[in-house]
Amino acid sequence: MKIIATYNIKGGVGKTATTVNLAFLAAASGYRTLVWDLDPQGASSYYFRIKPKIKGGSKELIAGKQDLDHLIKGTDFDNLHLLPADFSFRNLDLQLDAGKKPTQRLEKLLKPLANEYDFIFLDCPPSISLLSEAVFSAAHILLSPVIPTTLSLRTLEQLKVFIKDSQLKKLKLLPFFSMVDKRKKMHLNLMATMQEQYPEILSPVIPYSSEIEKMGIQRMPLPAYCSKGQALEAYQQLWQALLLQL
Amino acid sequence: MSEIPVRFEFPGNPPIKKFISNLAEAFPLQLTSQHYAVKTFYDSFDWRLYNANLLCEFNQSKVYSYLNLIHRETGQVVTRANLEKVPAFIAELGDSRLRQQLLPLLEMRALLPIVSLNLQLYQVNLLNKDEKTVARLTIEEYEDLKHRLTLKPIKGYDKATEKLTEFLLSTMALEKTNKPLLIAALKNQGRKPADYSSKLNLKLEPNLPAHQAVKIIYATLLQAIKLNEQGTINAIDTEFLHDFRVAIRRTRAGLSQLKAALPAEISSRYSQHFAWLGQITGTPRDLDVYLLNFSAYQAGLPAEMQVDLLPLQDFLQRKQAAAQQELAKYLNSRKYLAPLIAWEQYLKLPAEKSISAEVAELSVKQLADLRIRKVYQRAIKQGSVITEHSPATALHELRKTCKKLRYLLEFFQSLYPPPEIKTLIKNLKELQELLGNFQDCAVQKLALQHFCEEIQGSGCSQQTFLAIEKLVQVLDSKSCKARADFSGCFTVFAAPENRSVFKALFSPTV
Repeated sequence: MKIIATYNIKGGVGKTATTVNLAFLAAASGYRTLVWDLDPQGASSYYFRIKPKIKGGSKELIAGKQDLDHLIKGTDFDNLHLLPADFSFRNLDLQLDAGKKPTQRLEKLLKPLANEYDFIFLDCPPSISLLSEAVFSAAHILLSPVIPTTLSLRTLEQLKVFIKDSQLKKLKLLPFFSMVDKRKKMHLNLMATMQEQYPEILSPVIPYSSEIEKMGIQRMPLPAYCSKGQALEAYQQLWQALLLQL
Repeated sequence: MSEIPVRFEFPGNPPIKKFISNLAEAFPLQLTSQHYAVKTFYDSFDWRLYNANLLCEFNQSKVYSYLNLIHRETGQVVTRANLEKVPAFIAELGDSRLRQQLLPLLEMRALLPIVSLNLQLYQVNLLNKDEKTVARLTIEEYEDLKHRLTLKPIKGYDKATEKLTEFLLSTMALEKTNKPLLIAALKNQGRKPADYSSKLNLKLEPNLPAHQAVKIIYATLLQAIKLNEQGTINAIDTEFLHDFRVAIRRTRAGLSQLKAALPAEISSRYSQHFAWLGQITGTPRDLDVYLLNFSAYQAGLPAEMQVDLLPLQDFLQRKQAAAQQELAKYLNSRKYLAPLIAWEQYLKLPAEKSISAEVAELSVKQLADLRIRKVYQRAIKQGSVITEHSPATALHELRKTCKKLRYLLEFFQSLYPPPEIKTLIKNLKELQELLGNFQDCAVQKLALQHFCEEIQGSGCSQQTFLAIEKLVQVLDSKSCKARADFSGCFTVFAAPENRSVFKALFSPTV
């Protein structure tokens, strides 16, 4: 089982779309896949038409009083399950802090699922918090969508320093460009500079696309309603690039 | 991670379109597809998948072509793979989960179509208020079979499945079923699953006259010969010839070991025919064995030498194809068929008039006790005098005796208590394996030397000859090991506790 967290300190960078689409592609290739919607906004849950609610809320979940397996829901797609969000996830930091070894908590909760799934995708809320640290400990891959702006450059640098300082040896940070507008010169220039500075950036680029935005209307992953196009190809390439890193 | 489906049958086979529209009045449904499809069940000739609790179902329509590996009892899909066609041998598939699951079960056996069904397939989703699918229904409309509905629950939406199940049973009068569709489809053809096994499964009554019992044994063996005949002629896979040969060998062992039960003239006449069959099937089988062992041969060589052995594989394949062709010719000939038909007719004759009164009174249990005792004593005698200086022929003779003993135990095992007879067979099997390894290595070494002579001048590189030479050395060391292990293995076989079991089981009953 490989745990892939989609994460960025910033919000609105395409984390949820990435999680949902890559998880769909993983499941469609036959891998048993789970998405855990950790964001209290519940956007992943929304895309799968699943109620963002879990029995007992985050308190019982973090305390280990609820068996994770019983909270998991099947999506409309084969091999693809979802652990829905809950509005109480806004308090995850507090609940983690109240327990022992908070940064190892998620890893411990996910352990019993090791034989059930080939891939677990964690859709993380923006910010850097205790929950983020718990995610970093649990994950093998930290997939970070980056919009090519100067501010993103700064946050990527912050993240790299944080991972280095925390001595997270298991964790592999894999940034990639997201919501790229190739008509914008600034995007193209910044991408060229950043790729030089950060060779670990994956080469597939997710474009800014109305097709991706339609996910909110269709309420399903992009490949489930779109059979061709630049956006779909970009996610397919990203999935292949990710597989090569595992 | 897939949920256990609930399966239903439709009594009276109503039109499915009408059924769906009735159901849609009570539940929010979405018909996602409807099309003509063909479902074909596959298995090996000896039902290896069925016996491993699996069903292999190949589904084809205009919109899909995939293979489902299904758990026979729960109906759960274990593996699904998109395939355009089913390969004859699973080893031909690229590396995949399906190959990993099937290859250890099927090994060298071909996947054969068992039964094919035409159907109209409807796929329907049960939705909730958010238009999320909360259960899936697959409805199969058949002409000659009861229609089927499979309700596949979606994890976390159990209530929806429960509610729909209740409705299907009470209001729509559907019936739950656990029987795989394959069973119903075979029943239509007058067949049932697992109707062939290479294992002998004879049920004999102890008091049955011996001359009648041997006819039952021979008729069962003849059935195995006939069942494997076409597969052998068409070379579908190597095991048809293997099972064909085993049935011949068993018949030969019977004719020599149980000859008292039949008139001497009959035993002698048919012994000759089955000896000839043993002879004509020998070379093709040996070549099959070399080819089946080829990867093991390669693996026994240093990595850099393995590729050098490939010309030998080409040579063996050509030789095998020629031998197979010749065998097919024999098996289509009158020389093969006429005596076999006569044998079949002879076995059908009700009672044997030309046997002596003494034989006529002999029961099968008496005959079995007598023959097993004799052959066992012979094996003990032959094995006891083998030392490290004994010639290879001494081990070969013991091997032949053990084979006869094994066949006798298998013919008559239903006459004895199962735990004891099974233990005896198990002990004997271990000794036979060791003797088999020893003999096979010796025969293969010799054969390889002959092949070397045959391929001289065919343009094979020096490296190939070196690789074959190395292979001979590997076989030699294996054979030495088997030779060294003989004494320990025979001591276990001839241990006093085993001898007492033999004595107790096969002593003459007064």
